[in-house]
Amino acid sequence: MGRGYQETMNDVVMVASVILILTGMTAAIFNRDPFDKLISLSVLIAGVFPFIVERGFLDVAIATALIAPLSTIFTLMVCRRVQV
Amino acid sequence: MLDEPLRILIAALICWLNFMTIDLIFKLPHSGGVSGATAIAQEVEKGGGKLNGGYMMGNIVSSPDASAGTLLASCGVYCAGLPGGLFAALLVYIGNRICYDPGYAGTTGCITATFIVYGAVQSGWFAASDFIAGMVIAILTIQGISSVHASRLIARLWKVRCRFIPEDKP
Amino acid sequence: MIAIYVCAGIAVYAAIRVIAERNTMRKLPFLNVVSFAVTGIIALLLPHPITIAAAAAYFVGSTLESNAIASTWAGGIKKP
Repeated sequence: MGRGYQETMNDVVMVASVILILTGMTAAIFNRDPFDKLISLSVLIAGVFPFIVERGFLDVAIATALIAPLSTIFTLMVCRRVQV
Repeated sequence: MLDEPLRILIAALICWLNFMTIDLIFKLPHSGGVSGATAIAQEVEKGGGKLNGGYMMGNIVSSPDASAGTLLASCGVYCAGLPGGLFAALLVYIGNRICYDPGYAGTTGCITATFIVYGAVQSGWFAASDFIAGMVIAILTIQGISSVHASRLIARLWKVRCRFIPEDKP
Repeated sequence: MIAIYVCAGIAVYAAIRVIAERNTMRKLPFLNVVSFAVTGIIALLLPHPITIAAAAAYFVGSTLESNAIASTWAGGIKKP
């Protein structure tokens, strides 16, 4: 994949993605409830995505988009097994 | 062409009408499709909202419905024109199957939105990117400002819809 | 083209609302808004036909994930 439509990522979009990553990371550290932690990790991975796509790695983007939710689902299944 | 902020707001209104109409037709506020949607509806009701509105908000979160269809249709038309929108409809259909959703609200919403967006772009009044931003604004008004007020609005629209199509009520 | 700025702003706003909300189930609609906004950002950054697949994969994946979180919180699938 070559360079995309915007030659360099807009500063605004980059700052917004970094805010998403930092907010998700901080909330994941300081939340107590495990479900809240998983939701904060979702916010974090949402912030990482624009960086992957901007470089043109669309195949990596598709793979990550399918693998990250699967890992959350497996985490939830393990937790349910441990509880029960 | 009009000014960009005004185009985005008009596109937001068009997207809002498209996805609300399709979702109301497909009875999304009637009941929770999956257990997760019911859980969200009960929490919204505890916070002071209406249950039917909560069901629709829960269904929007749990499964690709017409709002997802409209967004992916706009992205499809932006990236690849009319075939892009139809390809997005195919992906939404696969997504519906993966989420065990028996309804076709997502696919229908995507197809109608593809034609609406493509027509708007061909007419020269809009650019496809306006509809992407417009759809994000539309979903913000429903899910992102106040679940209490949004659920009350949805419940009121659901009552109006039930009066128009009465034979579906049990 | 201010469409991408709109999406970025809404993403940040919704992320802050996700963190600020106390009730776990009421966080999920805000997380849905974040997914919508990031899907829009992905599509607007790189207008290539395969981007549709990446945006759709991300969106369906995040919907599946929210569904799983809500279902597990609610106690799982009800046994018939």
